Amino acid sequence: MDLLQRFALGEIDAFETLARQFQGEIYAWTVRIVRDPGTAEDLTVETLWRIYRARQQFRPDSNFGAWARRIATNLALDHLRHTRPEQVLEVEPAGAPQPDRLVAREMREKIQQAFHRLPPKLQVAATLALVEELPYEQIAEALGISVGAVKVRVFRAVRILRSRLSQLGIKPE
Amino acid sequence: MNMDKDNDRQIRDALKRSFSPVNTELRRDLWPDVLRKLDASSVRVPWYDWALGGLSAVAFLVFPQLVLVFAYHL
Repeated sequence: MDLLQRFALGEIDAFETLARQFQGEIYAWTVRIVRDPGTAEDLTVETLWRIYRARQQFRPDSNFGAWARRIATNLALDHLRHTRPEQVLEVEPAGAPQPDRLVAREMREKIQQAFHRLPPKLQVAATLALVEELPYEQIAEALGISVGAVKVRVFRAVRILRSRLSQLGIKPE
Repeated sequence: MNMDKDNDRQIRDALKRSFSPVNTELRRDLWPDVLRKLDASSVRVPWYDWALGGLSAVAFLVFPQLVLVFAYHL
């Protein structure tokens, strides 16, 4: 019996092998969405736990990695829904700020704030497609939607951002 | 139309510049944490079991003769 079949039957040793094999991949996917290593670690543990609990729904002939990514994406989406936008600002590395760097940092922060106020579904699609530049097919699979729907979400995210930034008087160069 | 496209491209570029790259390397083995979570969840009694137990206790207190019916069916 192969590893995936043993996992689907609830063998903990098979699950351990799979968890160790895929934890890095799940973490890498999650951290790209939530952009915080600690949160991504917690969500990876939660993803693996949910994978084990949902093992009976897994078909051993399907792609384990894609299934794991889908569960991880749903958890990351839930996390974004429950996180206030102010909590997710990225921190600039320490150093003496120069005037032009200050302006650039201010613009960066405003763009980030506007971005984190997007609906989480749009935020995830835009992060993976525009910031991480991942293939649309992979994003579509993880979100459980079509490639066309991903493109629509990215388009809507860009349009909303454009309108919010122009309200703030920011014109990106 | 072309201006819209240019603006959209500027937004996309600005977005990419605004987010620093994340390190996607996992720093530690998470299996011990997963195992702890699995152990914790396996001993947890679900809420409906508590509710069922509570209802049974109330039923036995209100109708003590139910204990005999229950014992007969065991």
